[in-house]
Amino acid sequence: MSKRVGIVGAAVTPFKGRWAEKTYYDLAQWATREAVKDAQIHINDVEGAFYGIYNDIFERTAIPEHAIHGLCGMQNKFGIRISTGGATGAYTISAAHAYLAAGRFKTALVLGVEKSTDCFDFSSMTATPEVIKSIGWSADSFFEQAIGWTAADSYAEVVLAYMDRYPNDLKPEITAKISAQLSEHVKTNPFAQRQFDQVTADEVMNSRLVVYPFKELEICVYTEGAAALIMAEEETALAISKNTGKPVVWITGVGEANEHSFVGRNHKDMSRIMSDHYAAHRAYEMAGIKDPTKSVQIVELHDAFVHQLEISMAEFGLVPLGKADSLIEDGLMTPGGKYVVNPCGGLIYCGHAVGASNIMSAWSAREELIRRGMKIALVHGTGSTIAQFTACLILENQ
Amino acid sequence: MRKHNEKVIPDIYIPDVGSEVETVNGQKYLVANDAMYTFYKRTKGEFSPFFLALRDDKKVLGCKCRECGLVRVPPFLTHCPDCNFAPTELVEIDQVGVMNSTPPITYFASSLFADMAPYGRGRVILKGADTALSVNLYTTTGILVPGIIERGTEVKIVFRDERIGEVSDIFCVPTSELSPEQVAKKGLLESEIDWEHPQEPDISDVSSKDKAVFKKAFAKMRSVINEMNGNARARKDIASWKRDILVKSRGGQFGIFINDGNITLEDRGPDSPDFVIVSQDLRTLLDGLTYRGAITDMIITKKIWISKNKEFITVFKLDRMARSLARSKRASIMNSKV
Ligand SMILES: [Zn+2]
Repeated sequence: MSKRVGIVGAAVTPFKGRWAEKTYYDLAQWATREAVKDAQIHINDVEGAFYGIYNDIFERTAIPEHAIHGLCGMQNKFGIRISTGGATGAYTISAAHAYLAAGRFKTALVLGVEKSTDCFDFSSMTATPEVIKSIGWSADSFFEQAIGWTAADSYAEVVLAYMDRYPNDLKPEITAKISAQLSEHVKTNPFAQRQFDQVTADEVMNSRLVVYPFKELEICVYTEGAAALIMAEEETALAISKNTGKPVVWITGVGEANEHSFVGRNHKDMSRIMSDHYAAHRAYEMAGIKDPTKSVQIVELHDAFVHQLEISMAEFGLVPLGKADSLIEDGLMTPGGKYVVNPCGGLIYCGHAVGASNIMSAWSAREELIRRGMKIALVHGTGSTIAQFTACLILENQ
Repeated sequence: MRKHNEKVIPDIYIPDVGSEVETVNGQKYLVANDAMYTFYKRTKGEFSPFFLALRDDKKVLGCKCRECGLVRVPPFLTHCPDCNFAPTELVEIDQVGVMNSTPPITYFASSLFADMAPYGRGRVILKGADTALSVNLYTTTGILVPGIIERGTEVKIVFRDERIGEVSDIFCVPTSELSPEQVAKKGLLESEIDWEHPQEPDISDVSSKDKAVFKKAFAKMRSVINEMNGNARARKDIASWKRDILVKSRGGQFGIFINDGNITLEDRGPDSPDFVIVSQDLRTLLDGLTYRGAITDMIITKKIWISKNKEFITVFKLDRMARSLARSKRASIMNSKV
């Protein structure tokens, strides 16, 4: 019989476009310090560490976690790194959950960190092209890297295929409204990269096309930062909660799925994000959720692009496929609507510090569940080359 | 794309050893020029027949499962995971297929792919294949914009004249832009295709109102170009760039000449232009040059057309000039207020 597992502490560093003042060592330790402080425990009480770091090229080293293990107070303890593209953070939480549920540890540190914008293109004297290039090394190295695969064009491939199938969904005025709304959410997130970057739907509509159909203000930003959780098995979690006075936020559902990287019959269906579908529905099943539209209140989802946010919401079963625009048209995610979607501002406005992003989302979901007195949140991470990796978590407020 | 006789990392990307100090909140922080470089003798292993067939025989290979018959292109594996790893065999594949879904187009490429942009990248299901081959996509009709290649568009594989055994040795164009002989030919070369006759939008139908609109916009255009020519920031955007551009619009045509920092407008367009811009209504281009919307966006959304795909970069420079001019004006207004 596996044990219940909950979140008893959480913290994020400020998310910024660039941290000249800190290496990923100090960012990692900073989030760890704050997370143990939040849980009101000593670091010596943490029995194992789970590191979410996406890309060795960003950190400019292989095995980037080895240096931070001792520096985060984990000497001679269990430490493992998870790296699953954009879904790294959510998968790291999933891994920690499994070890705690199995009774291997009583407590665990889940730590995501990324330092992405040291990458620098000396031909244009700007960082962004080199960041894009380093993500480009993720593409299939035999058949796709050489023909200009990028993170943006690969997500566009999935979105365009969805639009082939559902030409009346993902209307530009709707994606613009969603982006504008997320920019309002971020106002209350003091750790966000773009806390004061409010935009109107018109401004989004008029922003430059980067890769059709994505406009500049519909795309996540590159971020440096760290996020950490303290997770514990049931008895320990309850004891910590009693001490802090903060409720345990239980992880009652976990689900993952990775689709094929290649497309065609018996392979990936480009017009769907089936990994989102399977992962969410597996998490619902584990949590005993029969109808997610009646249960899920808060969604902290990995919004690399607004269009993908809409498709993901449909794959989660929260809106019908082909009618994702109902998020706005039927007021499902507008203020006072049925779902609170990305109250932290999401990856577009809070920022995308890849390995830390989904852990930041879990931090936000926990805060919001407690603050709003709500019961159930869905946390999501998607990634890899054609949005084919997903991990989803159901968080329940005790 | 990579070519023979080039360095695997071109010199312009390689910085000198050095460092600088950045000050944040009064504290000094060190930032060093750096690289993490690794060179490879990359083994292509079981993919060797596929790449050698591209390079040497202008053929496309796939693999067919002996049990379920699924044909995968490229030949990803020697044994089929769907059939508990039954063996597959290499088969030659047709060089015509249809797009599995609408391909994205990258207009603003990183330095690595700047010489390929704008490019489409999508997945084609070749005749007889069950899985999609990732390819670059181009058109012979002028600038590549959304709508030319979509889901279901039939495309043909074209081989680069110089091939190095990489997937970039091939790309696709719509079969509708080729002759039946070209569509039927195996191993069609890039040099066998007519790239010199793009399809200009028809602007022959001109009303007297169009002429009046043109006349007014043209006068403004002349003064904007003159301003750009006198603006140091804007001039820097076209340093060491030279292009003779023919601009066509309902109601008239003229020339814009860019020559290493100079930009001029002449009533008479060039006889052999580097490329043609068609702005059906000249006010559209004028908006772009006066920083009311990006000209690149106007191209992507098909309000403006250019005759050569690769000249998107020149248009990008025109956008930069418009921004430079607007910023200089704003700065001078601020200064005059002070
Ligand atoms: Zn088979």
